[in-house]
Amino acid sequence: MTNTLQAPSVAQGAPAPRAAGGPGRTKNLLTRTRPWLLLAPALAVLAVLLLWPLVRVFLFSLQDYGLREIVSGEPNWIGLANFGEIFTSPELYTVVLPNTVGFAVLAVAGTVALGTAVAVLMAALGPFWRTVVGSAIMIAWAMPAVTGTYVWVWIFDADRGIFNETLQALGLQDEPVNWFTNRYTFYAIVLLNVIHHGFPFVAITILAGLLGVPKEMLEAAEMDGAGAWRRFWRIIVPNLKQVFAVVIILSTIWDFKVFAQVYLMPGGAGSNREALNLGVWSYVESFGQNRYGFGSAIAVLLTLVLLAITVVYVRTMLKEDEL
Amino acid sequence: MSVSTTNTTADVAVSARPEASVTPAVRTSRRSARKTRSAAGKAVLVVLLLAFTLFPAFWMLSSAFDSKAGTGGQQLLPREFTLDNFAYVLTEGGFDVFLRNSAIVALVTVLASAVLALLASVAVARFRFKFRTAMLLMILIVQMVPLEALVIPLFVQVRDLQLLNTLLGLMVVYVALSLPFGIWMLRGFVAAVPVELEEAAYLDGASWGRMFRSVMLPLVMPGLVATSVFSFITAWNEFIFAMTLLGGASENYTVAIGLKQFFGEHSNEWGYIMAASTIITIPVMIFFVIVQRRLSSGLVAGAVKG
Repeated sequence: MTNTLQAPSVAQGAPAPRAAGGPGRTKNLLTRTRPWLLLAPALAVLAVLLLWPLVRVFLFSLQDYGLREIVSGEPNWIGLANFGEIFTSPELYTVVLPNTVGFAVLAVAGTVALGTAVAVLMAALGPFWRTVVGSAIMIAWAMPAVTGTYVWVWIFDADRGIFNETLQALGLQDEPVNWFTNRYTFYAIVLLNVIHHGFPFVAITILAGLLGVPKEMLEAAEMDGAGAWRRFWRIIVPNLKQVFAVVIILSTIWDFKVFAQVYLMPGGAGSNREALNLGVWSYVESFGQNRYGFGSAIAVLLTLVLLAITVVYVRTMLKEDEL
Repeated sequence: MSVSTTNTTADVAVSARPEASVTPAVRTSRRSARKTRSAAGKAVLVVLLLAFTLFPAFWMLSSAFDSKAGTGGQQLLPREFTLDNFAYVLTEGGFDVFLRNSAIVALVTVLASAVLALLASVAVARFRFKFRTAMLLMILIVQMVPLEALVIPLFVQVRDLQLLNTLLGLMVVYVALSLPFGIWMLRGFVAAVPVELEEAAYLDGASWGRMFRSVMLPLVMPGLVATSVFSFITAWNEFIFAMTLLGGASENYTVAIGLKQFFGEHSNEWGYIMAASTIITIPVMIFFVIVQRRLSSGLVAGAVKG
């Protein structure tokens, strides 16, 4: 698994510093500072454009930061009032959290289940059909989130979308239904979009793991009379525990922060408050209402949730091999 | 027995063996029946999977080439094949300008982040120094930060620098966004270059700089290409920052937000939207094919998704 799923990480052991030290021992100072010289440009960019903004979004979340404060640059500290407002807002519990957490749970479950099923199917196919399926899912994967979302919006379009027209032609409904106004059908479409875009990564990753499971083990189990279902749960799953952990955690991180897939749907940009999730809520409060402080507080919460998941991810990675 | 599970001719051979008793012969024929059924099942699954996977892309293309897309009653194939949607999008639709903007932004992002990421990845892959692990952890963690959290402070920052509505502001942000993943991915490629080759260069009297240029650089080139493709896709697909930082300056729009203008108050020009979406998607697909083999390894090693 380490071979198939990790970028090659040879030569990280003891020999590295010996040669990396440079041609001679005389240039000791240069040798010692060289890694920092190499890192400096990248670190400067990351510090100014990623780390400082992260500090700043936290500082904004403690202020009443609106248009006036942007222009004047004067801070207007209000302590934790923004967070108080978030946690006392009924919208958080009835709309935003279910739309964020509930959606992420369903999306991760759907993506991993479909991805695994496709991986198992691909492993059972011959080389020709495996290439065909592989190329097809590559197309689904490569579709940019923005255009992919527009295509799904077009398919489910209320007036002329093919979904409504097909249902009507089959006599299943009398007149077109606007699927975007109802919160559940809205998120069902987002779910379809996210699973369609996300399962190829899971499938390709798990397929790489599957091909690494020793054939003898599976054959032995088959001889002992284990059916396909049991072979999957008793041999494949335990063997690929690490791979599953990684795809589940990464999918969770991605599905928690879906933005374009919601924002670009009809009503998704804040006009339909029922469709808000944490990310979109933060964005529309900031740039729609000019309440940058309140929006920052929501963004801080989203970041903390993702950070917690990331810690789990990093620990999983560290278990696997040294950085 | 394990032979008979792998191919049918072996089944025949087994059952035709004179000393084979009746029971294994029955068992093998039952096996082959099950195998036909499982082959049929697999074929059905493959067809369903292909339909689900390819339908959106197919529908995008079909609508893009249909002169009557969006008028209702559309069939699976365009009723009247036309290139008019593309022609409109690329001229009056303004996508000639948006494509140029996106290409400029993507190119600068790719070049700047490739240089920065390569230098930094050599540092973390080849040297042992204080805080090295801390540095790697920071790079890994910083990728997970949601863009929604960065967009507010960066909007203020870019505004203070008076770079709102300019492509430069956007490029700077994209370099930062693609850098952590670039470093993370390249460090694997740098580490894979045998240390012995470096030592040989030193023995031949090369300086560190000479070694870097003549030994390291050519060997990590494939990795550099793969990483660059990822920064290209990041810059090409990015949506939140383009929408926020470019705001009203529609002459500076990138392709990802240029699509917005085909959405009308009451009706949407679906033929144009799908033609423009096709134009946006094609370069990404081409680049995906180029790096597809490295995808899973790179992404699992720590990733960002568009």
